[in-house]
Amino acid sequence: MDIELQTKTNGATYLSKEQVPAGNGDGAAYRITEVGEEDGLLSAQTSGCNGGTVASDHAVETQINLEKIHTPQETSAVCRIKGELNEVIFWRVKLWMAIIILFFFIFAVIIMSMLLCSVIHEDKDEIFDPSTFQVPQCFNGSFQLPNLVFTEELFTMSSNESQTLAGELREKLADLYRSSPALGRYFSKADIYAFRNQLLLADFQLTFLMPAEHQDQLRNITLSRKMVYNVFRQFLYDQEPDESGQMYIDPVSLKMFLKH
Amino acid sequence: MLSCRLLLLLGLLLLCKGQEESGGGESCDNFTDLNLSHCFMGTVLYVRLLLYTRSNLDCGRELDHHHPSSQPLFNVSRPTAFVIHGYRPTGAPPIWIDHLVQLLAEQEDMNVIVVDWNKGAANLNYFTAVTYTRDAAHNLTGFIETMQEEGASLSSVHLLGVSLGAHLAGFVGANLHGKIGRITGLDPAGPMFTSAIPEERLDPTDAMFVDVLHTDMDSFGLRGTHGHIDFYANGGADQPGCPKTIFSGKAYFVCDHQRSMFLFLCALNRTCSLTGYPCSSYSHFLEGRCLQCEAFKPAPCPVLGYDMSQWRDTLLKLGQTRAFFSTTSTLPYRKMSYRVDMVTWNQYLRWGVVYIRLHSGKNFTEARIDHKQLRFEQYTSSRLLAQFDEDLQQVHKISMRINTGNVIGPRYKIRLLRIRFTPLERPERPLMCRFDIILEENMEVAFRPLPCGSGL
Repeated sequence: MDIELQTKTNGATYLSKEQVPAGNGDGAAYRITEVGEEDGLLSAQTSGCNGGTVASDHAVETQINLEKIHTPQETSAVCRIKGELNEVIFWRVKLWMAIIILFFFIFAVIIMSMLLCSVIHEDKDEIFDPSTFQVPQCFNGSFQLPNLVFTEELFTMSSNESQTLAGELREKLADLYRSSPALGRYFSKADIYAFRNQLLLADFQLTFLMPAEHQDQLRNITLSRKMVYNVFRQFLYDQEPDESGQMYIDPVSLKMFLKH
Repeated sequence: MLSCRLLLLLGLLLLCKGQEESGGGESCDNFTDLNLSHCFMGTVLYVRLLLYTRSNLDCGRELDHHHPSSQPLFNVSRPTAFVIHGYRPTGAPPIWIDHLVQLLAEQEDMNVIVVDWNKGAANLNYFTAVTYTRDAAHNLTGFIETMQEEGASLSSVHLLGVSLGAHLAGFVGANLHGKIGRITGLDPAGPMFTSAIPEERLDPTDAMFVDVLHTDMDSFGLRGTHGHIDFYANGGADQPGCPKTIFSGKAYFVCDHQRSMFLFLCALNRTCSLTGYPCSSYSHFLEGRCLQCEAFKPAPCPVLGYDMSQWRDTLLKLGQTRAFFSTTSTLPYRKMSYRVDMVTWNQYLRWGVVYIRLHSGKNFTEARIDHKQLRFEQYTSSRLLAQFDEDLQQVHKISMRINTGNVIGPRYKIRLLRIRFTPLERPERPLMCRFDIILEENMEVAFRPLPCGSGL
């Protein structure tokens, strides 16, 4: 192997003389083996690859061949490829360097495009055009505010007190539906239109707008009473009774129905 | 190694106990205790019948094969259960035998007869033991016929066979033309029976009712269906907690096979109620496709154990039923199962595996439903079976994570309209729901479940 490598790297400048001692160590062993056949093959090999350099030294070459169990044809092909790989294309860049750089380049392009893909990936579920949402879907209902201090004035909708309370509740409802991933985009507005009797029931109305296409599916599934009701109910279950104070809404008291 | 020593110790203890009792005036007949040298030499079949009743639970009495009534404790008007062991490669008495006798006697006031064919079963050569099963069955058939002559009814006879003993019970049943009340087969032996025709192994025609439990079909157990109902624990092959490599010694060989007995003991003890779900295969069961038992209404799904009366008639009508369940690795074996239904509003179809954790205070228990990718299709309910090792009474928080198997590229989101957890086997517990959540790939999402409310 050593000899072979040396031959390759030094190319034509290599001196055949130096190779002889390397092989001579095993000279005896070589002589025992049959030479006749290999000689013929060897000549073909010599002419194929290393040219005159190794041709002079049959003994060494054959010895190497025997050790490596390579057929001469194989060796010659490998030699030729190695030679070609070492060709200088330009400046000091050899062919093998160029090939490796090319592979790196391809790899980098793949990685880059994958990264780019994940960065600019647009989620189709997050894209919608609100201007196409025109078909209304309304829900009416009521809930109870058990912690609220009851005053007479609340029952007249025009009074300041009831206006402030209605405003706060409207805001609460709007926030809750706007932050909903599934319903937020369809939500239009929430209204509080009356406070009733001593238990302080608040009547509300919710308006959703949906696109004309797929409206049946939306009506029956996403914007169904079940879904709109449960998103509200879930919000009420999550609220902490002590934190919400006066504005606490009793989850069990929530009633909602679809307005036709 | 440890288990070997334990077995040895247990064997010694049993021996000591036996001697003590025999020294106390009354003579107890105990299970034949042989050792390895007997197995090496080979034993010739000798069947002993040891009677245990509620009044002599710790002290067996050997019955005369031809005059069983000569033993005053034997009452033919009571039901009779025969316990039949299998191949005994070490010759030691089975470790479960006393426990099983105790538990059977607890179920009903009956005669428990241990069929001790240890001489015959204790042979290094398994094939000798297999050939002896026919002779032992012949012997036992003769005894049951004598019992019948003395006034016992065949329908009140119950044979419990373990491994090779299950086939032995089958042969007895076949000899008596299937008129025996019931045969319970605990992991019927596989070697030498894999290609046997029904006459050469346990099959449903051997008794009026045959129930079978499989735990080791891939080595010592037998594949297929052999009873009116076949229970397959964890699919019937590999049991959780059993060693996977030969380095664990003896346990590697016997753990799966023995599990059938431990599961049955646990079921008799009523410490674990193991519900079997009738299904065509274990994978269908794991996919949550077989979680209802319409055929058995108003009874629930069949439960492994002694009392099968609720399901018996339906099972006989159905012919052969395969029932599946999963267990944990240790007592009480049962898992807490939930049916989980999810509806997504994602426009595009996605596939993914789901990991769910239930939290109760600081405790949590996890189910990894990753044996198959789950399909998430818009507005379509995706169902899965989530089985948890621990049963948490009050679930305060649920956390979930999904994985679509997407290594590179964007993180997908699964947007759920609703997720619902239905506790199986515990109908009194409330359903848990959550609405309007987004599961982002590989991100844990935690939420507080709320009662589902009416109509959901």
